[in-house]
Amino acid sequence: MTSHKFATRCVHSNNDTDTLYGETVCPIYQTSSFAHDDPQDLSDIFNGRQFGFSYSRIANPSVAHLENHINHLEDGRGAVAVSTGMAAMTIIVDALTQPGDHIISSNSIFGGTYYLLKEFAENQGLHVDFVEGNHVAGYKEKINDHTKGIFLEIIGNPKLDVPNIKEITTLAKAHHIPVIVDCTASTPYLFKAKEFGVDVVWYSATKWLGGGGRSLAGIIVDCGADWLNNKSKPLKSFTEEFKQMGFIARCRKLRSNKGAVLSPFNAFLIQMGLETLPLRVAKQCENAKQVAEFFESQDSVNAVSYPGLTTNPAYAVASAQFSNGFGGLLTIRLGSKEQCFRFIKALKLCKNLANLGDLKTIVIHPHSTIYRNLSDEEKDQAGAFNDLIRISTGIEDVSDIIADFKQALDASQGDVK
Amino acid sequence: MNIKINGETENIQNESITITDLLALKDVKMPDMVSVELNGDMLERDQFSSTSVKDGDEVEFLYFMGGGDK
Repeated sequence: MTSHKFATRCVHSNNDTDTLYGETVCPIYQTSSFAHDDPQDLSDIFNGRQFGFSYSRIANPSVAHLENHINHLEDGRGAVAVSTGMAAMTIIVDALTQPGDHIISSNSIFGGTYYLLKEFAENQGLHVDFVEGNHVAGYKEKINDHTKGIFLEIIGNPKLDVPNIKEITTLAKAHHIPVIVDCTASTPYLFKAKEFGVDVVWYSATKWLGGGGRSLAGIIVDCGADWLNNKSKPLKSFTEEFKQMGFIARCRKLRSNKGAVLSPFNAFLIQMGLETLPLRVAKQCENAKQVAEFFESQDSVNAVSYPGLTTNPAYAVASAQFSNGFGGLLTIRLGSKEQCFRFIKALKLCKNLANLGDLKTIVIHPHSTIYRNLSDEEKDQAGAFNDLIRISTGIEDVSDIIADFKQALDASQGDVK
Repeated sequence: MNIKINGETENIQNESITITDLLALKDVKMPDMVSVELNGDMLERDQFSSTSVKDGDEVEFLYFMGGGDK
């Protein structure tokens, strides 16, 4: 199966032969529990000595099917599917750290991730350093004996900077520190994390992986990190028992103990999205580039940011790291919050909402929404400027998207109040 | 050959068999969810295709569906 190309593997999961009645998609095992006639069987399942399922908070066939599928797309060691991207990030931090530990994070990250790390720092005894995400020197300066992880995003949201992943993973490996990358905005279609030395990938599968804006989900993938030489104390007993599967085992245990499970129905929906991942993302990338070029041609737009524009500072690094496109995210700056709001209010086709990677083109004003609780300095560092609109292109006909943006731009012009 | 799998003695027709082939022979569902211990030593996944089982070996399949503590 792994000899097939990526698009084929998206349609044909490695579980294809595992059917009861010849069904061609994994059924939705919408059940809380699984009965076993023989109490020894249930005991063996609980003790991990027999294949089977006991309780859906621990494991569910529909969720396991999705995990196997995404793991094979990533060529990973193992995957754990959870309720949301934030649950994924929470579990990763919990898996690797305990109070008093230290982590380094790019400051160019999704607002929700930022709030989460601040929560860990302020209330759970974790020391967190935020650094300029693109510069390996920033990470190097902050590494100390207690550092247990380096966290960053493959495409900063909404700054749209693209860090040089190989530089950062090379630095981290010299210190036996895992690098954890939020690849929500790239997916394995655009970025092959394992090839760049990434240790753990996580996704808000809600976004491009699922693609339909229908369900929340998060996924953690172990890309093959060296956990036996890892310094994290919470991992120790798991690596002693499960060797290099220790991280995945710990994530699964945390998911179970904390209840951060993915519903079987949502797992089904996300897996349905995986099947069309290359088609959707290719179209979203194509649309994003054309929309970015349109905005570049408009005098009323002060700035356009899209990694796929040759004029963009991230273009060189993005070209080296991504295949098949530069993602579906772009931003524009219109000069003021008021103009942004007029623009958004005038839209007739594109939707104003908090999501990414939908089939529909989406906009949002991050400064007044997702990043509203950050300080002005934090907002600037994250790229959430007062006059910035973040756009996630869908798969509509690009002429319709551009027509909607054009009339909205016209409507946004006027005296700044 | 006779080997023990999860404590039960089983007769395998092959004189020798890799872990990968043993998982397939035993029709282990979702092999990604299985860790394998051979004679008390946990194997890494990339050893499955190069490690063979022989007569008298003890193999433990540990599944990640278990409940409770670990």
